Amino acid sequence: MEPFFRRLFGKESSKDKAKKRLKLALVYDKLEVSDETLSNLQKDIIQVISKYFVINQDSLKLDIRRSEDYSTLVLNTPIVSAKHRGVST
Amino acid sequence: MEGKVIVVTSGKGGVGKTTATASLGSALALEGKKVVVVDMDIGLRNLDVVMGLENRIVFNLIDAVTGKCKLQQAAIKDRKIDNLFLIPASQSDNKSIINASAMERFCKKLRNEFDFVLLDCPAGIEQGFENAIAGAEEAIVICTPEVSSVRDADRVIGILLSRSIVPRLMVNRIVPQLVERGDMLSHEDVVDVLSVDLLGLVPMDELVVISTNMGNHIVMQKDSMAGQAFRRIAMRLNGQADLPIEVPRTQKSFWKKLGIFGKKK
Ligand SMILES: Nc1ncnc2c1ncn2[C@@H]1O[C@H](COP(=O)(O)OP(=O)(O)OP(=O)(O)O)[C@@H](O)[C@H]1O
Ligand SMILES: [Mg+2]
Repeated sequence: MEPFFRRLFGKESSKDKAKKRLKLALVYDKLEVSDETLSNLQKDIIQVISKYFVINQDSLKLDIRRSEDYSTLVLNTPIVSAKHRGVST
Repeated sequence: MEGKVIVVTSGKGGVGKTTATASLGSALALEGKKVVVVDMDIGLRNLDVVMGLENRIVFNLIDAVTGKCKLQQAAIKDRKIDNLFLIPASQSDNKSIINASAMERFCKKLRNEFDFVLLDCPAGIEQGFENAIAGAEEAIVICTPEVSSVRDADRVIGILLSRSIVPRLMVNRIVPQLVERGDMLSHEDVVDVLSVDLLGLVPMDELVVISTNMGNHIVMQKDSMAGQAFRRIAMRLNGQADLPIEVPRTQKSFWKKLGIFGKKK
């Protein structure tokens, strides 16, 4: 279609579409986290949480979830019990 | 002499690294500089055929880096342009013979002999890429106006910046007709997404294919739009940083050129 008519009918040009896809791809690329980073993060988190709670380390789950607009870091762990102040070192 | 070492790279293959290295090298030599172009694509050498020097190869990059020959022996003199030299890649040697630190030392040597050292990088971001960027202080990142190519350029720019190498962008294979009717990313779109300094714009030009067939220099072809674009980029590399960037346009018809009919865009 001629650009003029395309604009008249409010139809997106193929390059507009390309640019949108490109921008989204770059956002996703930068959010990509390696398994190594994720498992390091998991270890650190377990350490910090263990200062305050008794947890079952194997049931802790760490995940990155993506939606159209943003990514979320999801941490899920059952708590066995709370540690009392002074007990933790 | 304290020459400049510039790596020509892209991430994605087939976007015009070898063409640009040969063309910018010859244009800089025509400007009176002493230039060497180095084929870093070990095992898949191509710069020699693009420059029409394929049957003059005796020694290669690996020979020079490992000290099997002198630098002067590996640098082949161009047939048509004075002060232009090629160091070809080896076709057979194992890639792992040279490493990044050996290349860094070799680039220091080259810098003492030449005003400009242009490194033609292999596609990808593996060891060959690492070797090619090791001794470079500046980079020309090439992409075409396509999603996959721009995305790979973004990745490469990120790596270059993390190594303190200054990247500048060259957009190649622009088809003005497609850009004007909204079916190709414009250079503004590309720069907007990559946020990097623009070095120049090169149109798609069938004369590039013809020159490459013949082993001729596209920059010596006065009627080639791409050749002229490369010459302007070379001038910009050679100190004329303020030279305006020319945007490839559709060829205006005779009447439009005269400005008698239709209004100018
Ligand atoms: N501006 C242009 N107009 C028309 N054809 C071009 C242009 N630039 C490059 N080409 C053609 O595109 C093809 C690929 O170019 P070239 O070999 O320079 O890319 P490359 O990035 O070095 O590829 P590789 O990643 O395989 O090393 C060649 O056939 C070349 O002639
Ligand atoms: Mg190449």
